[in-house]
Amino acid sequence: MKRFLIACFLFVVMTNVYATPEQDRLALREFFTQRFPDLDLNEMINGLYAFDEGAREQWLEMEDFPPYEIAIEEGEEAFDTPFANGKAYADCFENGGIGIKQNYPRFDVDSGEIITLEWAINQCRTDNGEEPLPWRTGELAAISAYMAYTSRGNRMSVVIPDDPRALEAYESGKEYYYTRRGQLEFACENCHMQSAGSLLRADRLSGMLGQATHWPVYRSKWGETGTLHKRFMECNIQVRAKPYEPQSQVYRELEFFLSYMSNGMDMNGPASRR
Amino acid sequence: MKLNLSIMVSALLAALMLSTNVVAADEAEYKAALTKAQDTLSDAEGKVQLWSTSEILLNDAEEAATAGDFELAVKLATEARLQGELAVATAEREKNTWQNSVPK
Repeated sequence: MKRFLIACFLFVVMTNVYATPEQDRLALREFFTQRFPDLDLNEMINGLYAFDEGAREQWLEMEDFPPYEIAIEEGEEAFDTPFANGKAYADCFENGGIGIKQNYPRFDVDSGEIITLEWAINQCRTDNGEEPLPWRTGELAAISAYMAYTSRGNRMSVVIPDDPRALEAYESGKEYYYTRRGQLEFACENCHMQSAGSLLRADRLSGMLGQATHWPVYRSKWGETGTLHKRFMECNIQVRAKPYEPQSQVYRELEFFLSYMSNGMDMNGPASRR
Repeated sequence: MKLNLSIMVSALLAALMLSTNVVAADEAEYKAALTKAQDTLSDAEGKVQLWSTSEILLNDAEEAATAGDFELAVKLATEARLQGELAVATAEREKNTWQNSVPK
C-alpha cells in the first residue's frame, strides 16, 4: 500500500512538472490565443507582420519582387548540379529533396543527433566527397531556400521519436528558450512571448509561434539571405551573450524545440524581414 | 624660511611619488588579474553561456597593458572576471526558475 501511494504521488508530481511536447505546444497556442484573441494564429508564420498592419502592407508590396528570389534561383541551380562523383543532392533525400523541409529538424536514432536541413545538406556533400559549405549565408542558405520554397504550403511536422535522447534534446531546447542569459539577462521568451507584438525601439517583435516556418530569410539589415542559426547568433549578440557556433548542439536543440512548437502551421519559407 | 619651504615641498613631492608607486598597478598585478580572469572565464564557458562583452574587456586590458597603463589593465581584467562570475550566477539562478515562464 505504501509503495502504491508513493507511486501515485510520483506520477502526480511528474505529470505536473514534466509536460509532454504536445502539451507544451497546445499550452503555447492557448497562451497566444489569450494574448491575441482576435488573431488567427496561423498568421504568426508572418512574424511581426501578423501584428503591424502598416508594416504588413509594405511587406506585401515587397513580396511582388521578393529579395530572396535570387537565393531560390541560385539554390535550385546548385541543387541540380551533380557532384564530382555524378550523384546529386536529390540522391540524399526522401522524395528527391522536394517538399520535405517540414520534416526538419529530425532526430536520428542511429547517431543520436538532431539533423537540421542545413546539417543534412552538408552531410550529403561530405558523403559524396565534397567540402562542406559555410553555415550562415551563401550557397548553403540558397540551397536551403530552394528546398524551403518547394515545401511551401506543407504543414510543419517535426517528430520526436520514442527515444529518451530525443526527448532530452527537446527538453534542452525548451530550457534554452526560457532561460535568461547575457549581460541584459533576456530569455528568448522575454521578447517573443511576453513582448510579442510590442515595439522594441523601432522594431515590432514577432511571436514564438511560426518562428521556425519561414527560414531561410532575407533580412534587409543583412542585405542577404541567411539561415536560422545566423539569426540565433544575432539574438544572442543582441542580449550580449557570447553566441555559439552555427549548428552547434545547443542551437540544433533550440531549433528542434522551436520547430515542434510550430507543428501544424504552414511552411512559408523563404521569407523577407526587415 | 625659504629653505624650509623648499625642503617641505621636496618632501611632499617625494612622499607623493612614493605613494603613487605603492598604489599604481604594475605588470605583475596585471598578469595575476589576467590569469584569474582567464581561468574564471574558461571554467565558466564549459558550464554556461558567457557574456559577449567579457572577451572584449580582456582584449582592451591587453591593449592597456601594452600601452603601459597597468592600472586600467587590472581594472578591465577584473571586470572580465566578474562578468564570468555573474554569467555563472545567472545560470545557477535560472536553473530553478526558467520553468516558471513556461505556459501550462
